[in-house]
Amino acid sequence: MTVQRFLLFVDHVSTWAGKAFSWIILLLTAVVCVEVFKRYILNNPTAWMFDADNFMYGTLFMMCGAYTLAQDAHVRGDFLYGSMRPRMQASLDLVLYVVFFLPGIAALIYAGWDYAHASWIIGEHVNDTADGPPVYHFKTVIPIAGALVMLQGIAEIVRCVVCLQTGEWPDRLADAEEIDVVEEQLSGSQYIDKEAVKEAIAKVHEIDEVARQRGMGGETKL
Amino acid sequence: MSDPALGLMMLTLIVIVIMMGFPTAFTLMGLGMFFGYIAFYDPTHAWLDNRVFDLMVQRTYGAMTNDTLISIPLFVLMGYVMERGALVDKMFYSVRLAFRKVPASLAVATLIICTFWGIASGLVGAVVVLMGVIAFNPMLKAGYDVKLASGVITAGGTLGILIPPSVMIIVYAAVAGQSVVKLYASAMLPGFFLSALYLIYVLAWALLNPKIAPKLPEEQTRVPVPEWVRKFASAYSPNMLVGLCKAMVSPGQATRIEADGVRVTYWMLVKNLTAALVPLAMTLGTLWLAWWYVVIHQQAGPEDRPAAAIHQTVPAPQQLGAGVTAPSAPSTSQAGGLEQLGSPELLQGPATPAEVGPPEGFYLYFTISAVILLLILGYYYWKLDADQFEILKLLTSSTMPLGILTVVVLAVILFGITTASESAAIGAAGAYLLAIQAGTLNWQRVKESVFLTAKTTAMVCWLFVGSALFSAVFAILGGQSLVEEWVLSLHMSPLQFMLLSQAIIFVLGWPLEWTEIIVIFVPIFLPLLKHFNIDPILWGTIVFVNLQAAFLSPPVAMSAFYLKGVAPKHVTLNQIFAGMMPYMIIVCICMAIMYVWPGMSLWLPNYLYGGG
Repeated sequence: MTVQRFLLFVDHVSTWAGKAFSWIILLLTAVVCVEVFKRYILNNPTAWMFDADNFMYGTLFMMCGAYTLAQDAHVRGDFLYGSMRPRMQASLDLVLYVVFFLPGIAALIYAGWDYAHASWIIGEHVNDTADGPPVYHFKTVIPIAGALVMLQGIAEIVRCVVCLQTGEWPDRLADAEEIDVVEEQLSGSQYIDKEAVKEAIAKVHEIDEVARQRGMGGETKL
Repeated sequence: MSDPALGLMMLTLIVIVIMMGFPTAFTLMGLGMFFGYIAFYDPTHAWLDNRVFDLMVQRTYGAMTNDTLISIPLFVLMGYVMERGALVDKMFYSVRLAFRKVPASLAVATLIICTFWGIASGLVGAVVVLMGVIAFNPMLKAGYDVKLASGVITAGGTLGILIPPSVMIIVYAAVAGQSVVKLYASAMLPGFFLSALYLIYVLAWALLNPKIAPKLPEEQTRVPVPEWVRKFASAYSPNMLVGLCKAMVSPGQATRIEADGVRVTYWMLVKNLTAALVPLAMTLGTLWLAWWYVVIHQQAGPEDRPAAAIHQTVPAPQQLGAGVTAPSAPSTSQAGGLEQLGSPELLQGPATPAEVGPPEGFYLYFTISAVILLLILGYYYWKLDADQFEILKLLTSSTMPLGILTVVVLAVILFGITTASESAAIGAAGAYLLAIQAGTLNWQRVKESVFLTAKTTAMVCWLFVGSALFSAVFAILGGQSLVEEWVLSLHMSPLQFMLLSQAIIFVLGWPLEWTEIIVIFVPIFLPLLKHFNIDPILWGTIVFVNLQAAFLSPPVAMSAFYLKGVAPKHVTLNQIFAGMMPYMIIVCICMAIMYVWPGMSLWLPNYLYGGG
């Protein structure tokens, strides 16, 4: 199972990086709140705050791209895709990863590298605001995020190959999902019938999957 | 192959590849790369020296520093925290009790909770599943018609993507170069109007045919009044307000009450009196806010224009039907400025209607609405017995925190006090505070909300990166102008164009998610709006409502499948679809009303920020 270990290793790298950078959102919230207080209450705004906010937001979403890919959370038109068998899905994905993903992301890394490199050489600062903060480290995020996504993409290609051989998708790491809120809400409930709650919590993930495929994948299951 | 032909090929390919189910962000990037490379190809340069690489990284950097998209993670975080912090079943329980005497009370409560919940959350699936467990089974047990019960849940569940603060609106603002605050203001009234239409439909149906929604059995409508409140009411006065006031002066009798191991203290009485005064405080607060905004705030500094309003307001083309008639009934919180709507001398001036001071009719409308509100309030307090009081306490504890937070967040955005991203940050911080106050916050939930926010933001923003490259290349190849020429050669009237564009978006809404529609297909229509003199804000708002209809159309509506998942075995998908159909028609009626009467969407943004 060395292939599976490789897959999970790459998943761990992307997930770890993504989760580490996702905490920026709390920092961003705090910084903006402090700035609101300073600007509107103390009447003493900070000049470089606008750029700092952008740096945080841009880094956040770029660095989480690989994590999102590792969780298969990038939006896809899964209307037809969802109703296909895994082998069919894998062969389509394999072709499209090679044709679109690899050149696209390779170009992003290459272009991002040049862009950041030029910025480091001239020691670029933000030029929208007077006395702007340095910007080269922020531009460096582009090639790094691109490289992470590329690594995860290679893992996804390996996944497709494994799926073509075995006919089943290899496992992914478990993570928080949107539909989990159902369980959290219902487990704290006081006014609903306990049996219904237990039943709903047990099959909520399956419901989510079937609904995303608009019932074309496995209507019989329900 | 000529360039425009390549552009069209690009558009065809994107539709095909999206249907094949590949992650859309990377499809857009890959296609953009390829066609861009061909478009920029220059045989005299080395193959790595193609300008498409510059374009790509510029577009990426543009998305990373986009000051509209920056509100997305903040609003998404607020939503995730809110939906984990507030307890929806407690809200449903208290609203259901409050409306226990209304026909089809469970259905009405469901719609209200869905609307309210829609403010907090933008997730269709989770709302439908939750309401399916909390409300659907009780409705069926009470003998409600299956179509009625499934219709309110599926239709109510999709409201969340429309009602501000919604992520869809931010993404549209970023795509269309419009201001987020203006779009929020314009989606506000149609969002609530749509849910009001749903409510009217349910009520009318239940009144005409009471069999579809039988009255609830006695034990389900009984209000759980604590023993001490009963004793208190008999000792002082059946009217709780009078009783509590008396007890403030002479607490002797009250502090002797002891029931179920609860000993009444003076502090308890003070807390209960405060709870009883909440409706009064809310009414006075609303009136004061309207007065402050229209009269005091504007006169204090008319040249001090709201920061958010100046912020990237794009000169909009002459709006559809400028000079629409004024809405007939003043709404309580935004009374004022009704007569001035769309009158040319105000629209041409640099000041917004709100800034030229209180309009003539304002004092009259304000007095009338204040008197009506106070009369209703007086009647409410006159009827405040122990049952009503208990309901009031339940409502206050379950819905007030969420309500206050959303009102504060929306008010600071709409009044232009802070920018959208700043209000979003305050909202997110406030949501954490609320969850702490409600005792529902733990480390697990903090982590979940942070990680989910990261994933959703990355999904939307990477899609944006891809589509920025894609649409740039599409325009460079001349595909965009080819589409424009073709549409213009059809010599359509604005109405025909409106119908055509909305029909295309409606059909796209069947297989696709809103993210893909707004990010990929909406930009193709946007440049055309100017030719037809259609306001992009109005058009966008109609698109938001339109997507509601698309998500309600059988047989592809996702919410039906979510509901089917939690419904009892005997409920069939066809019954759920049949229940959804009337709501789809209501959405279409709503769109027609919005087109015929653009004031509904445009009055609020024009009043607050001017323009038009």
